[in-house]
Amino acid sequence: MILFRKFRVLILMVFLVACTMHIMIDLLPKLEKRATGPNSGNGGCSCSHNPSEEPRNWAKQRARSAAEPGWPNKHTLRILQDFSNEPNSNLSSHSLEKVINTGDKAESFKRIKQFAPNADGQKTLIKDTRDGRTQPVQTVSRLSALFEHPLYKTDLPPLTDDDTLFNVNTDIRFYPKAAGNQEWHNEGNEEDEEYNPTGEATAESYPNWLRFHIGITRYELYSRHNPVIDALLKDLVSQSITSVAMKSGGTQLKLIMTFQNYGQALFKPMKQTREQETPPDFFYFSDFERHNAEIAAFHLDRILDFRRVPPVAGRLVNMTREIRDVTRDKKLWRTFFISPANNICFYGECSYYCSTEHALCGKPDQIEGSLAAFLPDLALAKRKTWRNPWRRSYHKRKKAEWEVDPDYCDEVKQTPPYDRGSRLLDIMDMTIFDFLMGNMDRHHYETFEKFGNDTFIIHLDNGRGFGKHSHDEISILVPLSQCCRVKRSTYLRLQLLAKEDYKLSSLMEESLRRDRLAPILIQPHLEAMDRRLRLVLKVLADCVEKEGYSAVVEDDLDGQPASHQRPGGR
Amino acid sequence: STEFFSKHGSKLEHLFAHPLYKISLPDLGPDDVLLQKEELMEYYRRKVSRWERQQKYYIEAAAASNISVFDQPVTFDPHASWLKFHLGINRHALYSREDDNIDRLLQDMQSAAIISADYTQDEKALKGLCDCTQVVKPSGHHLKLALKLQDFGKAMFKPMRQERHEETPEDFFYFVDFQRHNAEIAAFHLDRVLDFRRVPPVVGRLINMTKEILHTTHNEDLRSVFFTSPANNTCFFAKCLYVCKTEYAVCGRPDLLEGSMSAYLPGLSIAPRISIPNPWIRSYSFTGRAEWEVNPLYCDTIKQHYPYNSGDRLLNIIDMAIFDFLTGNMDRHHYEIFTKFGDDGFLLHFDNARGFGRHSQDEMSILAPLSQCCMIKRSTLLRLKLLAQPEYQLSDVMRESLDRDPLRPILTEPHLSALDRRLERVLRVVMKCVKKLGEQQVVIADIEEAS
Repeated sequence: MILFRKFRVLILMVFLVACTMHIMIDLLPKLEKRATGPNSGNGGCSCSHNPSEEPRNWAKQRARSAAEPGWPNKHTLRILQDFSNEPNSNLSSHSLEKVINTGDKAESFKRIKQFAPNADGQKTLIKDTRDGRTQPVQTVSRLSALFEHPLYKTDLPPLTDDDTLFNVNTDIRFYPKAAGNQEWHNEGNEEDEEYNPTGEATAESYPNWLRFHIGITRYELYSRHNPVIDALLKDLVSQSITSVAMKSGGTQLKLIMTFQNYGQALFKPMKQTREQETPPDFFYFSDFERHNAEIAAFHLDRILDFRRVPPVAGRLVNMTREIRDVTRDKKLWRTFFISPANNICFYGECSYYCSTEHALCGKPDQIEGSLAAFLPDLALAKRKTWRNPWRRSYHKRKKAEWEVDPDYCDEVKQTPPYDRGSRLLDIMDMTIFDFLMGNMDRHHYETFEKFGNDTFIIHLDNGRGFGKHSHDEISILVPLSQCCRVKRSTYLRLQLLAKEDYKLSSLMEESLRRDRLAPILIQPHLEAMDRRLRLVLKVLADCVEKEGYSAVVEDDLDGQPASHQRPGGR
Repeated sequence: STEFFSKHGSKLEHLFAHPLYKISLPDLGPDDVLLQKEELMEYYRRKVSRWERQQKYYIEAAAASNISVFDQPVTFDPHASWLKFHLGINRHALYSREDDNIDRLLQDMQSAAIISADYTQDEKALKGLCDCTQVVKPSGHHLKLALKLQDFGKAMFKPMRQERHEETPEDFFYFVDFQRHNAEIAAFHLDRVLDFRRVPPVVGRLINMTKEILHTTHNEDLRSVFFTSPANNTCFFAKCLYVCKTEYAVCGRPDLLEGSMSAYLPGLSIAPRISIPNPWIRSYSFTGRAEWEVNPLYCDTIKQHYPYNSGDRLLNIIDMAIFDFLTGNMDRHHYEIFTKFGDDGFLLHFDNARGFGRHSQDEMSILAPLSQCCMIKRSTLLRLKLLAQPEYQLSDVMRESLDRDPLRPILTEPHLSALDRRLERVLRVVMKCVKKLGEQQVVIADIEEAS
């Protein structure tokens, strides 16, 4: 039906596309100047690029979209003003303090409107990015060997409109209408012509953060070899920061950074050096959040093939130019000072460690931090927050129920949504993920509301991992040892990562080397992951021995033989 | 003669045997002594009987609510070392040079049974109010306890917050620096070596947090800040600093905790003191500068105003500045004097826990009173010169003196050698003054020529 209607505008479309091409070709020299990276030259014809030609190695991927740089100035200003009034982010790292208000919503509509004037190219985008699997290995890295392994080539079920977060044919096109076209003209920006809602722009012209949002499905935050993710990671490091706000709520200091291309990211500043460990007397809820843990968690999640952590990149930020001078937040601005050692410091306002004693100081004004890409605004993609059944007591003396009841899992298994679907197995995945990092602070998890109960869980807020390399917190594994259940795909991958050729620590080291702030983890942390992986496998082996393989391992590979790779994409 | 000075051939003993340390002071009249013996004994007796009464009620109440209490017997001892210390305080110093009671007092504070633990008065005065936005925390916010000993002596306990080798982070302002128990101990020894005797005796002690604090306190609030850490250590915290997340708890290993025990002075009701702002107080803000930091002629103004226009007060301030410069303590915002001795009384050098934070840096601004006023007591200058000589080297006598503390080593070597370096700098400042103004102007004779 939708396609049929399209025939009527097809001629007009072709005409408009031709016009756009002309404009683009005219603009090309200008764009080249602004774009960074060696491959930005092909940016102009990204619509025709063939994904199978792209190198597998994602550090090399520099594909950029044509329209990404060069937004009109007035526009930037307006967005800047709007955001500064809305310090509440859409990524609620501390879900309890999540705030949705109408201002946010209107703003999101405006943003979507600018980037999604026409969503027709959307289907191709998703398809393109999924197809990158069949290409040959170009480097001899362990990491690419891992991603070449059949276990990393399993297919997902075919996607329907219900399985994508944004239904490109209806939803995204619908947003501008919902927000009202009038507003568009009210802005009075004549330069906006090229993004006008009748739409000539193709999906490839969307900024990477929007392409990341559009790519979210029922099964994953991003697909395995999505070039957009690498481009997005690069954006996080290189896009200029136009505005900074403090994230309200949350326990520790986090900043919301808005980029030139209107993308947003959550900034967690460095609080501890790489070598520092959490003091033994600290409780999990008094621990510091570590920027390198955020970065490492994203890489670990990708190596485990979960793909449930939003992309995170490390960045060296200039505190003067990129924070103090671009924030309109008085509370934040007020806390900047110059230390006796002549370094720029600030401490912000929050409930944990926001005082002079814990001021964050640059050297003299450069500070390290992690930048985590925002998830789609809550107004566009609502999320559900679930209490982790194995949540800790968050009390110095009290114990949680699961700590005293060995049969706790039997109870959980009978409670919706854990009584059906893959939710319990997803919790097991998360448990393993957290144990490998040593993250004891997983009190809640989130899902996208649109997908109901049959969807993956998002692994947000990993800053409290990687605190102690010399200690394995066995209690994190309690869900696994109590439930004795695991996905076959996860089990096989864990076994693979324990092999010398695919050793987790080497893979992580290689993956983390690509971050701007490398080294992200010191060697003892990397080695601890190998040790913890063996402990996970030991727990699973004990379970299998006790309850039998079929009772423990759930076959989620759906008949896909692990050793055989299906040809091509769907 | 005393146990403290018994080591033969020691530099420290030589120092104290030096004529400069033998200068006798004028005889003391009744007005020159802080306390009358009868008055103090009466005060003591009343305190003990009140304690015994309260203890009886407390034990009954505890028994009713099924809390086990350790009933510590109290002894009334008319020869208690703290009592003698209080009686010995006079117009010139907190104790006399040859007072062997000080060593007894140190010994008692280190080993006597603790019968009660409580918050200090300045913490109680805050009435539990915490203002987390305050950049400069009031002194009551810091973790310290008033411990009562078996003979009814009292000591201020400051727990260990930093390892000996740790320095104050370079980005820390003086008003957020840590409180160091070893600085308290070292300050007492330095003060004694300098022959000032204005710091109440301090000794290090290993405290059993459970037995000696948690089980002895009657304060419900104090009991509520105790907990067991994930590493199974006993911990407790300063309420406000913990609530405001500026500071984590202090933890024992598993319940033994190092700290400094600083002898209490006589209660304010029998020996009132006043607290006076230091004229060279800092701005206590990130950006602000105090007047003395920008005005090189600041001292000329100070000299014209009461009480600095007459008597020894200004010279005493300069003594204090030299003392603070040697320890690196920038946090001397106030000083105290006993009201009884009036304007010419000595200054108490309280609260030295923020010294010895940076051995690699000499904060010259602490010396501002000396460098701006260009005057120094003759006795002080002679002793400083003596301590700069190799036979009496300050670092050596300090090392020897500190070696007598049960928590030795108190200071790391870099801190000890920093003392020598700083002493050199003090003498250089004096020399510069003498060159500029002449010895007559700079060196103020306060003693008869002794050598």
